[in-house]
Amino acid sequence: MLALLCSNFTGTGQSSPSLERRLKAVFLFNFTQFVQWPQNALPADQSPFVIGILGPNPFGVYLEEIISDEKVNGHPLTVHYYNQVEEMQACHILFVNIADIKKQEETIAALKNRNILTVSDSYDFLQKNGMIRLYTSENKIKIQINLEASKNAGMEISSKLLRLAEIFTSDKKD
Amino acid sequence: MNQTPCDFTFLYKGLLCCTLTLGSNLGFSQVTDGLPAASELKQMSLEELMNIEVISVSKHSEKLREAASAIQVITHEDIRNSGAKTLPEALRLAPNLQVAQVNSSQWAISARGFNNVLANKLLVLIDGRTVYTPMYAGVFWDVQNLLLEDVERIEVISGPGGTLWGANAVNGVINIITKNTKDTKGLFAEAATGTDLSYLGSVRYGGQLAKNLSYRVYGTGFKLDNTRLTNDTSANDNWPMTQGGFRIDWEPSAKDKLSLQSNIYYGKPNPDAGDVRIIAKGDNVVARWNHVSSEKSDFQLQAYYDHTWRDFRNGFTEQLKTFDIDWQNRRQFGNAHDVTYGMNFRMMNHTVTNLPLFAFLPGDKDLYLYSALLQDKMTVIKDRLQLTVGLKVEHNSYTDFEYQPNARFTYTPAKNHTVWAALSRAVRTPARIDREFFLFLTPQLPFISGTEDFVSAEMTAYELGWRVQPTENLSVSLASFYNVYDNIRSSEPGPAPFYIPITFGNGVKGETYGVELSATSLVTDWWNVRGGYTFLKKDLSVKPGSGDTNKGSAESNDPTHQFLIQSTMRLPGNTELGTVVRYVSGLSEPAVPAYFGMDLRLGWRLNKVVELSIVGQNLLDDHHPEFIPSSPSPREIDRSIYGKIVCRF
Repeated sequence: MLALLCSNFTGTGQSSPSLERRLKAVFLFNFTQFVQWPQNALPADQSPFVIGILGPNPFGVYLEEIISDEKVNGHPLTVHYYNQVEEMQACHILFVNIADIKKQEETIAALKNRNILTVSDSYDFLQKNGMIRLYTSENKIKIQINLEASKNAGMEISSKLLRLAEIFTSDKKD
Repeated sequence: MNQTPCDFTFLYKGLLCCTLTLGSNLGFSQVTDGLPAASELKQMSLEELMNIEVISVSKHSEKLREAASAIQVITHEDIRNSGAKTLPEALRLAPNLQVAQVNSSQWAISARGFNNVLANKLLVLIDGRTVYTPMYAGVFWDVQNLLLEDVERIEVISGPGGTLWGANAVNGVINIITKNTKDTKGLFAEAATGTDLSYLGSVRYGGQLAKNLSYRVYGTGFKLDNTRLTNDTSANDNWPMTQGGFRIDWEPSAKDKLSLQSNIYYGKPNPDAGDVRIIAKGDNVVARWNHVSSEKSDFQLQAYYDHTWRDFRNGFTEQLKTFDIDWQNRRQFGNAHDVTYGMNFRMMNHTVTNLPLFAFLPGDKDLYLYSALLQDKMTVIKDRLQLTVGLKVEHNSYTDFEYQPNARFTYTPAKNHTVWAALSRAVRTPARIDREFFLFLTPQLPFISGTEDFVSAEMTAYELGWRVQPTENLSVSLASFYNVYDNIRSSEPGPAPFYIPITFGNGVKGETYGVELSATSLVTDWWNVRGGYTFLKKDLSVKPGSGDTNKGSAESNDPTHQFLIQSTMRLPGNTELGTVVRYVSGLSEPAVPAYFGMDLRLGWRLNKVVELSIVGQNLLDDHHPEFIPSSPSPREIDRSIYGKIVCRF
């Protein structure tokens, strides 16, 4: 029976991301509209607004399709793909798609003083000081926001987004 | 007990069937995948985006991954796409259950063997309420009905659930969970009829009473038609049932969830196909409070009252009133200990009206059950190795104290990969039939007699399993088990010269072993396939000193092989095609031949409100038997078709 299932995989192109992935890509685009970056973090002149993907790209060409012809505050949008944090230059939103938990922690620590909105679907992303987590619960996509982490990076999240999200607070008392 | 050559022809027939199921789909690979385009999604508001339904293999796997047991989940969508009309039909979708339809209103359902109409090794819960009768420790499936539209999911755990769930969860637990009322708002109405379905009609309305207070009210009624006698005439066992109820969910604070639900039902099953029907009615109320004390601690308090009444219309009646209160607390200590502890009290008042020759003595009995549970899930190596040890201690009215310990290892070498092993002990405590049932030839001469010496059946289970998610869209699970049983019920002849009364003894022991393989695959975005294969071998024997009249075979009649594949496709034009193919190998005593079953559902969403569907069930044979009970007369299940219209406002 396993053989039957495996034989179905010849021809299911990896290029067509699932509905879940497409929704997450659209959310990434939506975040550019509902979050305000600090003045000094915005790109200069006509420089593009960068959405970065760190780790394997889960969106296929879908994310690029979504952002083509879109602008944020007059800046065109573009997607950059990184394998390591060191490769990153100008970036405004980063989708962290790293499976290794240790590497995730290191990534978030390395981005500490940069005004980058970090997003992921990883289970304990917010505990590690990530800012936004997209996850699926009861068959629907839900948003969890670590407000403190986003404020520390200078982000201002619109109330329109906040009221739809679950606000995460870290329990300082251990 | 050799496999006849015929079994293999059946397997080939099945493979052909599957290729047809899969092969017919190849024509659709050129069609657009039916998913919303980028431009469509961009126009939606955040709220609309968050309302879109997403099926995710990984969502289930996350929950299943944590469980060091052979758990399978049947989702609401699996049920809807299968065309299942009733709860037992929905349970067919669990590859790790043996589900056999006996007649119009009776089913034989078990896990890992010991299937019987009076199967007693499975614990079944509906929203936390246990649904078994202490009369024989089994389930009357004809009074376990719900509005399938409002079922959130059904969790089927094959294997002993003794520690977490209590006695009688020897071979498995079926946990049926309905949706929270905040997910069932609006008006739902359905009507269906068919060749085997006189009618099915349901209405449900859900709404919001206040900010965090939602409710629903429902009513449902159906009548299933006759099955067939072996001489090809119709058996008069058609079965009408009506049920209604409500549920309220309230979240007074971010840390509290309260839920209250109640159901009431009235049915007239007629398994004997006689002139006078049985009346089965009942009502129940369940209240539950979940409280999150902190990130590391939460508890649940639940109480329920369940009343059932069954009038066999020959003078024998049975009434059961159950009152149960249960408290469970979960607390994390440091990083390495996740402790669950709890207590439960249950009182069952069981009253029968006896017949002169058929009696439970005493006619009126109160049974008390007290239990306490303690379990610690310990992290031995962070994110890699966990060890869970637990113990449930129960005190019941028949055998005083019973202990059900278990130990489980979970090893996670990689994020998408889990190996687990478990060692457990579980018991099946005596039911009234074992100790207090009497069948007389004359008022002074018992033919069958219960005995105070009847003790609990015990089982030690050794399990090993593996769960892996090799790609984002495929999840596979393999569970193997070796169960050692002792003190299984036997029928012991009485003293010479007439060898009556026959008493129930604990004279059978033995082993069962097997393998359960299951998988879920999102083949494409519009096509998902799930299913599994189960292999079961039994070796039961009569203990020395026992004269079991059935030589160890009465308790069970189970197939060696069982196979299920369910395919669901979302097609262009807002249509859906659901296919369920199952194979069950032959039963031995009484003999039932192996069979293939196929159900097909074609659904069409006309618009946002109306959905039409046509369902064909048991399509491969004109009629076939699935299980032959000791009584009443054997029946066969007909091929059938029904049409349904659903409105959702």
